[in-house]
Amino acid sequence: MDDMRYLEIDVTAQTNKMTARGVDVFYGDTHAIKAVDVDILDKTVTAFIGPSGCGKSTFLRCLNRMNDTIDICRVKGTILLDGEDIYDPKVDSVQLRAKVGMVFQKPNPFPKSIYDNVAYGPKIHGLTRNKAELDEVVETSLRRAAIWDEVKDRLQSPGTGLSGGQQQRLCIARAIATSPEVLLMDEPCSALDPIATAQVEELIDELRSQFSVVIVTHSMQQAARVSQRTAFFHLGNLVEYGETGQIFTAPKDPRTESYITGRIG
Amino acid sequence: MSPLMMLISVLAFAIAGYVIARKRAVGMAGGDSRKLASLPGFYGQNAAYAALIPGFAVFLAGSILTRISLKNDMFGLWADLVTRLPNLVPTLAVLAAGAGLAHAIYRTRPEFRARVAAESWVMILLIAAASVAILTTVAIVFSMLFETVNFFGQYTWTEFLFGTTWAPDFRGNSALGILPLLWGTLYISVIALLFAVPVGLFAAIYLSEYAGPKLRAVAKPMIEILAGIPTIVYGLFALITVGPMIRDWLALPMGLGSSGSSVLTAGLVMGVMLIPFVSSLSDDIINAVPQAMRDGSLGLGATKSETIRHVVIPAALPGIVGAVLLATSRAIGETMIVVLGAGAAAARLNQGLGEMVNPFEAMTTVTVKIVSQLTGDTDFAAPETLVAFALGLTLFTMTLGLNVAALIIVRKYREQYE
Amino acid sequence: MNTPRKGSLLVQDARTKRRNAAEARFKAYGLTAIAVGVLALIVLVTSILGNGLSAFRQTEIMLTVELPESKLDKSGTRDLDVMKKVTTLTYGPILAKGLKDVIAANGIEIEGLTAKDVDAMISKEASAQLRDRVLADPSLVGQTVEITVLASGRIDGYYKGRVSLASAELDSNVTPAQLRLADALKDKGILVTKLNPAFITAPDASDQRPEAAGLGVAILGSAYMMIVVLVLALPIGVAASIYLEEFAPKNRWTDLIEVNISNLAAVPSIVFGILGLAIFINFGGLRASAPIVGGLVLTLMTLPTIIISTRAALKSVPPSIRDAALGVGASKMQAVFHHVLPLAAPGILTGAIIGLAQALGETAPLLLIGMVAFVREYPAAYSAADGLFGEPSTALPVQVFNWTQRADPAFFERASGAIIVLLVFLLIMNAVAIILRRRFERRW
Repeated sequence: MDDMRYLEIDVTAQTNKMTARGVDVFYGDTHAIKAVDVDILDKTVTAFIGPSGCGKSTFLRCLNRMNDTIDICRVKGTILLDGEDIYDPKVDSVQLRAKVGMVFQKPNPFPKSIYDNVAYGPKIHGLTRNKAELDEVVETSLRRAAIWDEVKDRLQSPGTGLSGGQQQRLCIARAIATSPEVLLMDEPCSALDPIATAQVEELIDELRSQFSVVIVTHSMQQAARVSQRTAFFHLGNLVEYGETGQIFTAPKDPRTESYITGRIG
Repeated sequence: MSPLMMLISVLAFAIAGYVIARKRAVGMAGGDSRKLASLPGFYGQNAAYAALIPGFAVFLAGSILTRISLKNDMFGLWADLVTRLPNLVPTLAVLAAGAGLAHAIYRTRPEFRARVAAESWVMILLIAAASVAILTTVAIVFSMLFETVNFFGQYTWTEFLFGTTWAPDFRGNSALGILPLLWGTLYISVIALLFAVPVGLFAAIYLSEYAGPKLRAVAKPMIEILAGIPTIVYGLFALITVGPMIRDWLALPMGLGSSGSSVLTAGLVMGVMLIPFVSSLSDDIINAVPQAMRDGSLGLGATKSETIRHVVIPAALPGIVGAVLLATSRAIGETMIVVLGAGAAAARLNQGLGEMVNPFEAMTTVTVKIVSQLTGDTDFAAPETLVAFALGLTLFTMTLGLNVAALIIVRKYREQYE
Repeated sequence: MNTPRKGSLLVQDARTKRRNAAEARFKAYGLTAIAVGVLALIVLVTSILGNGLSAFRQTEIMLTVELPESKLDKSGTRDLDVMKKVTTLTYGPILAKGLKDVIAANGIEIEGLTAKDVDAMISKEASAQLRDRVLADPSLVGQTVEITVLASGRIDGYYKGRVSLASAELDSNVTPAQLRLADALKDKGILVTKLNPAFITAPDASDQRPEAAGLGVAILGSAYMMIVVLVLALPIGVAASIYLEEFAPKNRWTDLIEVNISNLAAVPSIVFGILGLAIFINFGGLRASAPIVGGLVLTLMTLPTIIISTRAALKSVPPSIRDAALGVGASKMQAVFHHVLPLAAPGILTGAIIGLAQALGETAPLLLIGMVAFVREYPAAYSAADGLFGEPSTALPVQVFNWTQRADPAFFERASGAIIVLLVFLLIMNAVAIILRRRFERRW
């Protein structure tokens, strides 16, 4: 089965969705990311792994310029989305984030109804023309996030009233409702129990059919389960990047091997 | 025995108690302080407290009782006693101190847990201090309740609560309806809030969400300075600057009035006073909204202002409502600004709507009338004076309601994000 | 599912442009709000400074006057009791004559200047000043002395921009001839406007002589009240906070105390004035206008502020410190007094200073307890008849209010000047609080 998947990748791997070249990130005086080059392929799940503090989340936040919200953070280098530099002064970070959505570590539903949570993105981006269309977007998004059946009877109740796993799936629904081209996920399962984790992982696998997904994870098992390509970060460096199977079975770099065998991290 | 002698004696008892009890304890333990239940110092402390605290408590209670009985012809027996024996209270105080001392020394034995005893004396002091806050509220309520009851003995309460004319006359036949005063109070407060809430809220939003560190370092303290300025300063500002300005630039050209003091003057100046109040409360509340919620919205491609309007403000709404309630309570209780800026003429409610809502008219408030009825020559038997206590009680009740509602809302809000 | 838009990132679509415009507008609102706040502060401060700074300067006239024995001490005995019977009414003309002599000696001639005009150049306060000087040193009688006297309020106002030749035409209290005379005297160096320390030290003066009014009694009264507040509010507030924060069981009763304290902090200050009037004066029999009453009222008002800030300071000491002390066998009381309290002290002190500053500026409650009265005698800290801080006094902010109620516009200058003094005190207190916080602030 796994082999099948690799084959599939090889067919589509030609399209590069995002390209990062020589990316450096500084927090004040701290050099958090050092000269990272990565290609994110379209319709692929890419996993970033590495010990805590290795910079994988920081790098992820560069991909939709969420780091702009942190005053002391500076980014150097080029990151291209479909060939366009996302750090070009002409680029509007708002337009960028509409294309590159994000799901966070802790579920963070807005203090609004479930419906309004999902409808928020389409509303601000003006994706729908009328209420009926909006209803449809909300329903499809909730269905795709595999939570529709659980919430369809209480769309008007607050999103904060759901369980942790449901909240995270709601946040995923919220993110895909704006139909992004890339979906960034920052340890989306770290606050969830195993059952909810399984549900979210299943969901990620399914989302691959439409988006390019980048997931930061702490758990190597999770990376192995959901991703096709894996990047291993260590101390701000991208140590190794390649197909998931290869990274886990035949790592080229001794640090990667140490990490996946549990000697560092 | 004079009060000064009493002071010296009680202090002497305390020092003697410390020395004697300490010596006695060490002596009974045969000079080996390790055999004592507590450190030797605690035996001394216990004896010192046992003299000081009862001594001063008796003196304080006795003095207050004497003052009250002499002033109000109450507790006749006590009044007689202290007039005949002017040194009764200090003497009693010294006796109490002596008794406390003797008891403490008597109890001093090696197995006596002196630390516990000494600490319970301290605890008594702590509890007494904490009850001052309760006593204050009780005193506030009673100070107004008694005179208000007196007032309603002379003036019907329905006339007071529903009367539409305020025309006190010390020769009698006063009309003392509160409605014109309440109208003035509310009108001025509404203008103040209409000015202060948007300005304060936007200032807080800008400072916490947009401003760079440099602007914040300058603007934030400047706005906070406004909070530290006494209200008399704002009052004078209204009287000599804002009032004439509004009269000459707005009221006279528009033909709407010629009064230097006006609702608008008082309202605007009060609004300025409330800006830092609203902005610092809102700032706390906006900062309590978790960053994750902002990230969620920004991550979806919302602009900062969309995030603020659609996510941060709705999330912070209960807290902001609480802040506005507290600001309202401030506004209706504010005195000096309205005394100097709003004028002394009560609103005339039966002269048509035009005059009632003209913001360039002078209009008085509940607090202004409390001041004017209670300063100068006052006759505490006349309803024109006593009405001030009823006004005070009304004011207290209104602010109490607002404060408690605000407290509960804000407390619930904070718990939600903790 | 709607199709992903394929627009370029480098081109803003119409909707993004609109949204960015909304963003810019929103930011502009915020900036405007801050500008309004800052502008209000600037206008307020300039208005007060503009109106009040001149109160620290005063116009004075230097005279040489003869002190004739025939008028001041007919008996010739220099007996003080006899000389005291001579009132200020006799001293007035002596000063007026002195001024006339000076005018004549300098060859000043002013058209339309009457004798009454010359009289009115000198403050009514001056005759009392001369009388006091003579009574202090009776040997001066019969001699010629030099004396510097206050010019009257309108003449002073002429040099501060309050009075002009045009306004003098319409003013029954001053004539244009007087102003021309003043200019002539100024040219000769006889009339000067100079620094006026009496504004800080002198007592209040009556309606007719704003030029002599000072803040001495008010500052003294405020100082007495601050002593009372500091001595009572700080220990009681700290003790109450220690009990509530460290010892009180968490139950409905303490919850009630909690709500009660928060409410007290927001009770209108005027209500505390009613409390003071009804309880301390009418019921307790303390004297109206006494600093002790004001101090007690302000103590009750300041207590909630001090309690709230002290509790915050106690709360900020981490529980690990308490645990450490308890762990080595200290009692709870020892842990609090030996370890927690010293660590919280800077925070407590800062809160106390801020509470004190608040109390210093408070006006409304003091109006009700009679501190608005006209007081010219410096109150003693202790007197046998009135006890500690029991003599009638006024207070800085109340003096401001008092002056705003006078008819002569010169008192507005005085009121603004008094506010500058008040603000300087507040500034010093807050600066001390900030320095304390900076120096001792600890981050856990």
